[in-house]
Amino acid sequence: MLKPKADILLLLEGTYPYVRGGVSSWIHQIIEGLPHYNFELVFLGGSSEHYGEIQYTLPKNVTKLHVHYLIEPTESTIKATHGLKYKTELFEFWQQLQNYFRDSSEPIPANKLRFAFETLAKKSGINESDFLYSESSWHILANYYQTFCDKSSFIDFFWSYRNLYSPLFKIAEIARNLPSVKLIHSVSTGYAGLLGSGASVLTNTPYLLTEHGIYTKERKIDLIQASWIKDSEHVLGKNLNTEMGFIRRMWISFFEQIGRTTYQQAHKVISLYEGNRQRQIKDGACPDKTMVIPNGIKTSRFEKALSQRAETIPLTVGLIGRVVPIKDIKTFIRAIKEVQSSIPTIEGWIIGPYEEDPQYYRECQLLLNSLGLENNVKFLGMQNIAEILPKLGLVALTSISEAQPLVLLEAMAAGVPVLASNVGSCREIIEGETARDKAFGKAGEVVSIASPSETAKQIVTILQNDEKWYQYQSSGLKRVKAFYDESNMFERYDTLYKDTMAWPE
Amino acid sequence: MAGIGFEIRKILKKNTLLSVFEAYSYAGLIGSGPWLLSIIALMLIGILSLGIVLPKALIIQFLTLITYMMAASLILTGGLQLMLTRFSADLFFNKDDASVLPNLIGAQLITTIGAILVGLAVWPLLPLPVETKIIILGGFVSLCNQWLGAIFLSGMKEYRLILITMLSGYIFMVLCALMLRDWQLNGLFLAFFVGEALLFFSFLFMIIRRYPGNKLISFDFLNNKKVYYSLFLCGLFYNLGVWADKIIFWYTPSTSINIIGPLRASPIYDLPIFLAYLSIIPGMAVFLVRMETDFVEQYDRFYSAVRGGSSLNEIYLLKDNMIKTARGGLYDIFKIQGITVACLLLWGEQILNFIGIDPNYKTLLFIDVVGVGVQVIFLSILNILFYLDKRETVLFLAGLFLLINVVLTSVSIMLGPQFYGYGFALSTIITSVVGLFWLSKQFDDLEYETFMLQ
Repeated sequence: MLKPKADILLLLEGTYPYVRGGVSSWIHQIIEGLPHYNFELVFLGGSSEHYGEIQYTLPKNVTKLHVHYLIEPTESTIKATHGLKYKTELFEFWQQLQNYFRDSSEPIPANKLRFAFETLAKKSGINESDFLYSESSWHILANYYQTFCDKSSFIDFFWSYRNLYSPLFKIAEIARNLPSVKLIHSVSTGYAGLLGSGASVLTNTPYLLTEHGIYTKERKIDLIQASWIKDSEHVLGKNLNTEMGFIRRMWISFFEQIGRTTYQQAHKVISLYEGNRQRQIKDGACPDKTMVIPNGIKTSRFEKALSQRAETIPLTVGLIGRVVPIKDIKTFIRAIKEVQSSIPTIEGWIIGPYEEDPQYYRECQLLLNSLGLENNVKFLGMQNIAEILPKLGLVALTSISEAQPLVLLEAMAAGVPVLASNVGSCREIIEGETARDKAFGKAGEVVSIASPSETAKQIVTILQNDEKWYQYQSSGLKRVKAFYDESNMFERYDTLYKDTMAWPE
Repeated sequence: MAGIGFEIRKILKKNTLLSVFEAYSYAGLIGSGPWLLSIIALMLIGILSLGIVLPKALIIQFLTLITYMMAASLILTGGLQLMLTRFSADLFFNKDDASVLPNLIGAQLITTIGAILVGLAVWPLLPLPVETKIIILGGFVSLCNQWLGAIFLSGMKEYRLILITMLSGYIFMVLCALMLRDWQLNGLFLAFFVGEALLFFSFLFMIIRRYPGNKLISFDFLNNKKVYYSLFLCGLFYNLGVWADKIIFWYTPSTSINIIGPLRASPIYDLPIFLAYLSIIPGMAVFLVRMETDFVEQYDRFYSAVRGGSSLNEIYLLKDNMIKTARGGLYDIFKIQGITVACLLLWGEQILNFIGIDPNYKTLLFIDVVGVGVQVIFLSILNILFYLDKRETVLFLAGLFLLINVVLTSVSIMLGPQFYGYGFALSTIITSVVGLFWLSKQFDDLEYETFMLQ
C-alpha cells in the first residue's frame, strides 16, 4: 500500500519521538489532534549514542520519520587542496556567510541563505572536505582568528570553529533532500530552525516556527556555564559580554544568528505566552509575525475530579512537580511552616518524582525535619493527578522558572484554586491576559519568587475565605475552558496551517 | 631524551671560545665516532696482519669482503632501521614502552633471516673453504643486527653509550685479531665475527635493561595500520643511492679488478672516496649541534605551542624561529664543509704525498670531497623533513638521489677518467637543491598542513 503524501513536515531537534518531556507531549498531542493532516517527521540529533529507542507510538497520520545526526564523525579521507586560487569566489561567499554568524546583529539575507543552501556540501560548491582540508579555508580561518581574536588559544579556536560550522554542511544536504510538502513547521530555532529556513527558501514552501522555550536564551545559559570551552579569560567582570572569552561569544553569536534568520524566514512565529513573544521580538522577530497560542489540556478529563470534590474545602496545599531546585520546594516548605501558626492542621503535599536530584531531596527532608513538619509535609512521589486533585484545597507552584505550567491548568479544570510565583505565563494563566480574558476574574493568586511569607499569607487568605475560594474556582473553570482547552489549540493550529498553506508566494 | 643536546648545551653554557671548540669536538666525536672507529679498527687489523697473513692478497680479500658486507648490511637493514625508529618513537609517545623490546626482537629475527638468505645466495659463488664461509656468515648476521641495535639507541639519543660500546667492541676485535692472526683468513674473520657479535649483544643487553618488554617477540611494527612502508623504501633507496656509484665502479671492467670470486674492487675509485669521507667529520659535528640540538629544540617549541594553546601569532613566530635555525644549520654545514674543501684544495697534494698516495688521485679526491660534503647537507635536509613527517618527500628525494647517481655515474665512466666522481658529486648537489626547494615549500605550508591535514 502506498503511503499517503505528507502535508506538513515537522522539524524536531533533540525531542520527539526519542526524548520524553513537555515539548514531546505537545507534538504528540498536535499530531493526534489534527488527524486530517499527514505529518512527516525529521528528527535532528547531536550524535546517535545520546538517543535510545523511540519513546512514543507514532500516530497513524505520521507518514515517515527521518533521523539525522549532526555530529556523527564523517569517514572522509584527508584531501589536501593547496593554493588560494581554489574556488575563490565561493570562499569569498563563505567568508561573508561566516561574518553573519560572527556578528549576529543582522539576519542572513534571503538570497544569501538560498545560495548557501544551494551550494554548500555540493561537489561544485564548498563541501565539507573543502571546508576541512583546503588551504583557502585555512586562510579564512586564520584571518578570522587574526582579525578578531589574537590572544586566546589557537588550537581551541580551531576546533570550536570546525565544530561550529561543520553541521551547516549536513543541514544543507538534508534540506535539499527533504520531501516536498505544503508546509514546514519547526518546533524550535537552532539547527531545526535553520533547516526550516533553508528548506523554505529553497522550495518556496511556507514555514512556521513554534517555540516553547526560547532556544537562543537556553543555549546562551548552557554556553555560559559550559566547562568544555576553555577560555583564557575568567568570568570576573561586571559585564558578561565583554569579559566572556572569545570562543564562548563565537558560539553564542552563532546561535543568535540562527535565531534571527529563522525569525526572518518564518511566516509566523508562535510562542506559548506573551512574555516569550516579547522576548522573540527583542531577539529580532518582526512583531506582525508573532502570535501566542498557549498549550491546551483536555479539560473533560478533569470533570470527574470536579464532581468528586467534598463539600468542605480540604486544608491541604499541593505542589505538583519534580523535586528539583528549579521548583524551589524549600520555599514551599517554609511557607507551610508559616501557615501552621494560623492553620495548625495544614498539610503540604509534594506530588512528583524525587529521584532526579537525590541531594536536593535530602536537603528538603532535613529542612522539614528541622522545622518540625514531619506530620504536615509529605512527599508522595508520582501520583495520578486526576485522582489527587479532589483532595487538595489549593495547588501552589513556587518555581523560580516556568514556561506555561500545565499543572495550573489541570488544577483549574478540576476546580482547584491556584497560587503561583510570578514566572513564565503564570500571571497570564491566573489573572488573564486580554480584556476578555481578564473579565473572567482571578483564578488564584500570584506571588513573588522565593518569598515564603507572601506565599503563606496568600495560602491562609484563600483557604480561610470560602467566598473568595469559590470565586477563584469558578473563574478558573471558565478561563481554562474558554482559553486553554486543547480543542482551542487544535482549532487555532488548524486555521494557521490552512491559512499558511494558502499563503500567496 | 636529554642525550647529546643536553650535554652540548652544558658545555656551551660556559660561553668561552674554548667551550665552543670543546662542544664541536665532542659532537664530532659522537657524530663520526662509530664509523671512524670501525674503519680504524679494520685498518689496524689489516696492518697488524701484514707479514703474518700471507700472501698479502689475502688481506686485500679480507678488506674487500668486509666492505661488501658493510654495503650489503646497510642496504639490507636501512629500510627496517627507519621503520623501527619511527615505530618505537610512536610507542614512546603513546607511553607503551613495554612493547618496544618485543618489536625490536621481532625486527632482529627478520633481519637475521634476511641476512642468512643473502649469505646463502652468495654461498656457492665464493671460492672459500666451508669453515671460512660459516664464520663470514656469522659475522654478516651479527653486523646486520648490530646496526639495528645501534640505530635504535641513536634514535633514543644515546650517542655517548654507542660510542663507548663501539670503542670497547672494536678494541676487543683488534685484540682478537692480534691473537688469531696466525690462523690466517679464518682468524681475521673470526675476530670480526666475535667483535660484531659482542657489539650486537652489548646493545641488546643495554636495550633490554633500559626498556624491559612485556613479551618475548612481536611483529606489530609490520602491522598494516601502524607501519609506514614508505619509510622502508626511504631507507632502502637512500642506502642504495649512497653505494650506487661505488658498485658501478666495482663492476665496470675498465675501472675495477677481480679480488675473489665474483667480488671486485676499484682501486682507482675506492681510495679517494674513502679518504673523502674522512673530511665530513667537521660537517657531522655541526650537523649534530645545529640539527639534532638547536633545530630539535625549536621544533619542540613549535609543536608544544601548537598543542598547548598558544595564539596564532606566537605559532607563526616560533615557526619563523624554527626556519631560521634550520637555515642557519644548513648554512653552517655549508660553511664548514666549504672551508674543509678549500683546505684540501690548498694542501691536498701535500697531504697525499705525506700519506704516500699517488698524487694522481688528487682531482678525484677533490670532487669526492665536494660530493660527500654536500651529502651531509642532503642528510640534514632529509632529517628536517623526517621531523616534519614528510615521508613522501623524503622518499621522492631518496629515489631521485639513487636515480641520478646511477645515471650520472654511468655517464661519467663513459666520458673518461677525468670525469670520475662527478656523477656522485652532481647527484648529491642536484638532490640537495631540489630538497631545499621542497623544504622551503613545506615550511610555507606548515601551519596549514599541521592543523588542517592531521
